[in-house]
Parts: sequence; structure tokens; C-alpha cells
Amino acid sequence: MTNSILENIRRSLGRTTQISSPQGTLLSLRPTIYEPRLPESADAEIARFLDEIKKLSGVGQKLSPTDIDSALKKLIEDQNIRKATVWETPHLTQLGIAEILNSLGVDLVSPNASKHDMALCDLGITEADYLLPETGTLVLRSSTEKPRAVSLLPRVHLAIVRPEMLRADMHQVFEEAKASNYLVFITGPSRTADIELTVTLGVHGPKNLYVWMMDK
Amino acid sequence: MSETPTYIGFEEYSEHVPVSIPSAVQQATNRFVSGRAARVAELPQWEELRQIGSDIRLHTIENMDVYLAQLEEKVIAAGGHVHWAETAEDANRIVLQLAKEHNVKTAVKSKSMATEEIGLNHALEHAGIQAIETDLGEYIIQLAGTGPSHIIVPAVHLKKEEVAAIFSEKLDMNAPTDPIELARIAREVLREKFLTAEMGITGGNFLVAETGTLVMVTNEGNGRMCSTMPDLHVAVVGIDKVIPDWESLTVFLKLLARSATGQKLSTYTQFITGPRREEGEFGPKEFHLVLLDNARSNVLKDPIGREVFKCIRCGACANVCPVYKNVGGFAYGSFISGPIGAILSPQMLGTQAARELPYASTLCGACADVCPVKIPIPKLLLHLRRRVAQGDAFALPTISAPIHATATLASLALAQNWIYRLGAHLLPILNPFFRKNNWLSGLPYPISRWTKVRPLPPFSASFRNWWKNVPLKKRNLRDD
Amino acid sequence: MTKAQLFITCLGDQFYTSTLQNMTRILERLGVELVFPPEQTCCGQPLYNNGFEDKTRPVALNFMRAFAKSDAPIIGPSGSCVSMVKHHYPSLFKEGTSEHALAVDIASRIYEFTEYLVNGLKVTDVGAVYPHKVTYHATCHYLREMGLKKEAKTLLNSVKGLEFISLKEEETCCGFGGSFSVTFPEVSRVMMENKVNDIIASGADTVVMCEPGCLVNIAGGLYKAGSKIRAMHIVDLLATKESS
Repeated sequence: MTNSILENIRRSLGRTTQISSPQGTLLSLRPTIYEPRLPESADAEIARFLDEIKKLSGVGQKLSPTDIDSALKKLIEDQNIRKATVWETPHLTQLGIAEILNSLGVDLVSPNASKHDMALCDLGITEADYLLPETGTLVLRSSTEKPRAVSLLPRVHLAIVRPEMLRADMHQVFEEAKASNYLVFITGPSRTADIELTVTLGVHGPKNLYVWMMDK
Repeated sequence: MSETPTYIGFEEYSEHVPVSIPSAVQQATNRFVSGRAARVAELPQWEELRQIGSDIRLHTIENMDVYLAQLEEKVIAAGGHVHWAETAEDANRIVLQLAKEHNVKTAVKSKSMATEEIGLNHALEHAGIQAIETDLGEYIIQLAGTGPSHIIVPAVHLKKEEVAAIFSEKLDMNAPTDPIELARIAREVLREKFLTAEMGITGGNFLVAETGTLVMVTNEGNGRMCSTMPDLHVAVVGIDKVIPDWESLTVFLKLLARSATGQKLSTYTQFITGPRREEGEFGPKEFHLVLLDNARSNVLKDPIGREVFKCIRCGACANVCPVYKNVGGFAYGSFISGPIGAILSPQMLGTQAARELPYASTLCGACADVCPVKIPIPKLLLHLRRRVAQGDAFALPTISAPIHATATLASLALAQNWIYRLGAHLLPILNPFFRKNNWLSGLPYPISRWTKVRPLPPFSASFRNWWKNVPLKKRNLRDD
Repeated sequence: MTKAQLFITCLGDQFYTSTLQNMTRILERLGVELVFPPEQTCCGQPLYNNGFEDKTRPVALNFMRAFAKSDAPIIGPSGSCVSMVKHHYPSLFKEGTSEHALAVDIASRIYEFTEYLVNGLKVTDVGAVYPHKVTYHATCHYLREMGLKKEAKTLLNSVKGLEFISLKEEETCCGFGGSFSVTFPEVSRVMMENKVNDIIASGADTVVMCEPGCLVNIAGGLYKAGSKIRAMHIVDLLATKESS
């Protein structure tokens, strides 16, 4: 594959012919930095993760499936939720999230609705594909079942996650997920400090981030 | 209609820096510096990371053709389109063509220095397309019609009252002065645009050759909006942003946010490989990557100067630069300011256009200490000064004739001991005329350039005589 | 008998005769036999830093020839001048030439004054007495190019009666930058004033540094600000024997 820009680059680098492999070793293969981080105990990793969420002004807590009803009720009251949209994944379906919301009088919008309809939602509920405890990061893929807009358009984002999603560090996540067509790392609610360095949450993305770590 | 102000030259600008700029800029830089320090302290392997980051970037620069070819192949395999723009005009033409083909009336833009570099907004507006900056700081300065004062927080020079006034005027409303309220107004106004715009234009922080992945590092969510809501996503990215693989990416993601703002990671990091695969997942139907050359491939010819392409645009150098902190971003006259701007602009724009910039530094070296990829900025500044002063393989000298003449005379005087000694003998003649309280002031040009700021000690070269005339055993006495 | 050559620097020569005298005294008291090559003029840094590498060469040659007459180490009271010779002289000349070999030799045996005392002679106490509040400005080339992070403070630590106060912005550039001060005088002014204000705010009555250039800048700035704070070269402070 060649064009005038690649030709110019080659000339500038002093090459007369096209090469297909890079010259010199890619030093990133050095093991020193890339020794994978060894995770601490499961409980310690969960605690660390939730602590980071808190530091980012998110609300993180451990939860049992039996407490979902009351937790959702409280969130809806606290955040004045009228319309919501939920990922239709097996786990969230199994937890009966949609039904609970319905019973609480919340209008449900399909996660595959138009972006205009989605934009009217106050709450978006997702899972996560991976979790990074060191930075309190949620890693989300996207698909028809897991649309991107659910974690982006509504002003409140609730992520219902499980311990098995935890990964020790970025290296692990990349190893497993680099072939995805889309990944997003979500590290706290949307924020800016553009006006006089005053930190403001919820500029364009969600203002409130809730993370519920299911214990079963 | 946004328009960056006419550049009036670093020295001229620095003589009349608006009073509000240094304190506003320093508010930002102080916060970022202390944030960075805290995050760096958390990583005991920070110095190793810097070295590896530097090594990876240098390796990539030296193999840029290979990685770009691989990148293109992978983007296409993922269903994306790749366009190569040799010049700024090419890039604008490509984007305009895409806009025309897709009947674009409104484009939403997330923060992209590459698009500022090529003046894309002008080109779009000229063609009747509304191009809206959606990063809050960029949105504000677009409404205000000014340029950025800082790489990361471009509107930091504006007080909240000024922002409220701008919103009130441009948005025809009575805007409150509370920053949280102002952000809410921006959110509402821009939300409508995100949902109706036909095209989203973004930049990119990294391009991963291994899989053809665009990496976007943002905080507000507008980057996600621009790359998710419209059916057409166009990313304009400099060819120097390519990196080999995901393993390398881990290094830069660890270095970037910590160096820039003192966050461990920015709020949103997206990894985009081609357009959406399913309609239900949201995301653009079409993904177009515009690879921007615009003099970069020429700069690569210079084995010393091209080290500038290691840059990951964190702004840490600007945050510690005592010159930048006292003049702000406007003084550098281009899309990129601070120490990195002083070594990038003269190479990309040429030393004729940017001949003051390599000299706008005391070579203190604070920048090199904090650069996450170990760019030896003072070394590159000196390298470019040589280009300006005496020319090199890449450009003719552009230094002014008077300065050149002064240097020639100085070289003569300092290389011949007798001329130097003669000068040392003559200088004290000036003393009685300009002496006051054991200081000299009000000296004529060119020494006035010093004495207008602070006085000079009297000329009193007498060590040589003392050495010659005072015998060894008497030298230790206090008074001579 | 330890032998050393005196490198007095052009600024030291023009403005700081007493500092050079003190440097002589301190070294001779420590038993160093000093040589002063009179052919020396300037290290050429102002020309080099402005990009005039070609015009720096003749100045560098004059320097090297002056100091080549003896093989004793060369001592200078300036981090930037010593750094110029040590780190930049060899690159001025083509490898394989006799000039290059000479540059490499000279570069290998040039030391900044505090570096020579602490790391060379292994002396940390020169018997100085200075019972005052003293603050320290870490000059840029001394700190970063020469990498001298603790030598000055080690010497100050042994000064009798000295009370050390840290500057809030100890490592921030004072705005001298050689010709920068006359190329961009207004930026230099602001940086100088920031440094002066920081020094005044420290509550010290003396500020000390290891660089004649920065000293000219800061001393002048303090005077202009109407301050009575003494700005001194570390050599002069270390030469003080009785309280003053």
C-alpha cells in the first residue's frame, strides 16, 4: 500500500524501499513494566473499586439481589426519575429490572429506540464488561443488546456489576477485548473545569453515576 | 463566526500581556502541577514508564510508514474509510466533500487541535455548514471569537462573568454567572445539536496500528456524543499519532491523564474500530479517518527535530514553564503553545514564520523534567536556534542583520584576549556617567534593554591586576 | 599538592572581582595551588545559546588553549559556564580532530566550585560564619544541566549560625536566561519580579546562589524593589569568617 505521503515518509526516514515490518525491536515487549498486576483478594479488589468510584463523586455500593427493589425505589425518588432505559442483557432481565421500574411508575423506553427518545430518559441502566479497581473504571462494549447511548444520554447512569467482571489491570482487559469494534472506559461522571476551573459534573455525559456491585 | 486574532509576534505580544492572563493561566497550571505531582508519587515506576514511552515513540517515528500502512489496512478491514491529506487544504477538501455527499448542514465537533491547525471551522462555515464546538471551553471561545490560552482549558482566561456575558449575547438570553448553571445551559443547547447533526468531527489521541483503532481521551462526554450520535463520524488525526499496539497504549494511558490534569484516567476513553456493526448498538453508520500530513513528513527528515513527534499532547511542559505561565497561549501565535509549541511550530510552519519562538525560553529545563515521553525540549530549542541563526540542511538562516553583526563582533572580541581586555578596560569609563548608589542605570541602547528593567553593577574588572600584583602571602588578607 | 586552574567567567571578571578573590582565598586555604591562565575570556555561552555555533568555535578554542597549558582541573563559580564547557564543547568540533580531542580533555576536568569542594575535595565545612536568615535560589543550569541538587545546601548546612529558609519557588527560573533578558525584557522582568517577591516573602535577609548571571539579575531586582535583602554568590557567603 503506498501513496505520496507514505513515499515522503520513507524518503525522510532515509529508506529507498518499502518495508513491511518495522526495524528495531519494539521495546514494549520488555517484561519489566508489563508484569501483570497481581490482584489482591476478591474482597479487597471490590473495596478498592468502590472506593475509587466514591473518590470520583460516583455512588458505589454492594448489593444483594433481594435489595434491588428498595434500592431502585430510593434512586428513583432521589433522582426524580420518570423515564428510564435498560440494557436487555440476560442478567438484568433475570433481576427483573424492567418490571421493578414499571411497578414504580417509571416509563420504560426501549434501549434500541431512536436517539431522540433515548435523550428524554432520566436514567440509563447498564452492566459492564470489565471493571478496573485501581482507577474505578467501568469498561463497556457495545452491541444491539448493549447500546452505547444508554450510558451516555440519560443524566443518571446506573451500572449493575458483578465481581467476576473485575480485572487486575488494563493489560488484561486489552488482551481480552482488543478485538472489539467499540470499547469505552467510564471513570466517573462527566466533568469539566473549563470555567474558572470550577469542577462541574454532567456537562454532556451523565451527571450522576451509580455502581451497584451485586454480591451473588 | 469564530476567527483567531492576528498573530502579532511573541515579543510584541509579551510587552503588553493583558493583566488577567497570567493569574488565570496560573490558576490552571498550579492545579495541574500539584495534581500531576500527586499522581506521579503513586507510581513508583514512573521514570521507567517515561523511558519506555520515549522508546516506543521513537521506534514508531522511525517506522512511521510501516505502522501507518498497517493502520490503514486494519481500519479498512473494520469497515472504515481512510483518507490521506497531504496539506491542510487537502484535509478541508476531503471533509467538505464528505459533508456534501451526506447533505450535512450541521457538524458537531469535539476538541481537536488538528482541526484547529487546518482551520477546518472556517472552511466549513465558508461552505455554509454550521460547525459547532462542543467541548465547553472550545464552545466558549468559539462564541467569544478568541483563540485558546491553554492546551487543556482553552477558556481559562475568561472570568465566569465574561462567559455569562458571552452566552447572554450570543445565545440571546439572560445567563447567570454560576459556572454550574453555565455548563447546564451549554448542555441543553448542545444536546439538541448532538441529536440533529448529520456529522460528528473529532480528533484522536492515538491510532493503534495493530487493530486500526482510534483512541479518544476526554472528560465531558461530548467526544462520545460526536462519535456516537451522528450517522457520519469523521476523525481528523495527525499521522504522528500512530502507535504500534495495545500493549504500547497501556503505557501512554498511564502517562497521559496524570501528566495533563492529575487524573488517573480521564472520564471517558473510547476505543473505536470502524463504524457500528449493528444498527441497534448506536454509533455512526460510516467512519472516516482523515490522516493529516501537513508538513509532518517533511519534519521527519530532521533526525534531531523529529523527536518532537514523541509528544502526546499532555500540556505538562506548559504547566511548568515560567515563560508560558506569564504570557499565556496567545503569545505563541499558533494552534499549539508553551514549550512544545516553541519546538513544533517552527518546524511545521518554518523558521521564517516562527523565528522568535525558539528564543522565547531561558532554557531553564523545567519542561524536560516533566515531559512524560522525555522530549529534550531545551536541546531542540537550541537546535532550532541554530537553524534561525546560521541555517542548516533544512533552512536558510533568518536572523536579523543587526543581531548577526553583533554576534560576529562578539565572537571576534571574545576570541582575542587583547580585544576582550581592551573592552574590559574601556567599560568602566561609563561608570561615572550612569552611577547612582553603587549601581548603573539609564545606560544607552542596547544596554538599556537591561537597565530599563533593573540596574547593572558598575564595571570593575580588576581581578587580573590583583592576581598579577598582589603576592600570594598577602592574598588571604581581608582588605585589598 | 593539589593544583587547580581558575576560570573566572566574563561576568565574574566584569562585576564580581571580590567574589573571585574570595574563591581564590577559600581554595588556597584548603591547600589548593592555583593557576590563573590570563588568556581566558569567556566560555562562549551567549553565542552558543543564540544558535551561533560557528561563531562559538573560535571563542571555545581560545578557552581550551588557555586551559590546556596545565593539566590541572579547572574550577569556575558558575554552573552554566562550566556546563557549557563540559556538556557542549565536544559537540562543537568534528570527531577525530585534535580540537575535538582537546575539547573532550578539557570537558573531563572542569568543575563548578561547589561541586569541586563537596565532590572533589570532599570538603563540606570551610569554617564560614554567617548568623543570618538565608534563602537559596537554585539556578537552572546548575540544578538541571549539572545535576547539582545538594552540593550548595550541604555547604550552607555547615555555616555557623546560618538559619536556612526555603523559597516557595526555589527551582523556578529567575528570568535571566542570558541574552533572554535583553531579547524579551518584559517577560524577563515579570519572572525576575516573581523571584524577588518570593525572596522577600521568605523572610530571609540574604539570598544566595551559584551563578553570577542570576546574581546580577536578582541583586538588581531586589535593589529596584527597595529591598535591603543581600544577594550573594555562595562563594562570598562561604568566605565570611566573622559576623557582619
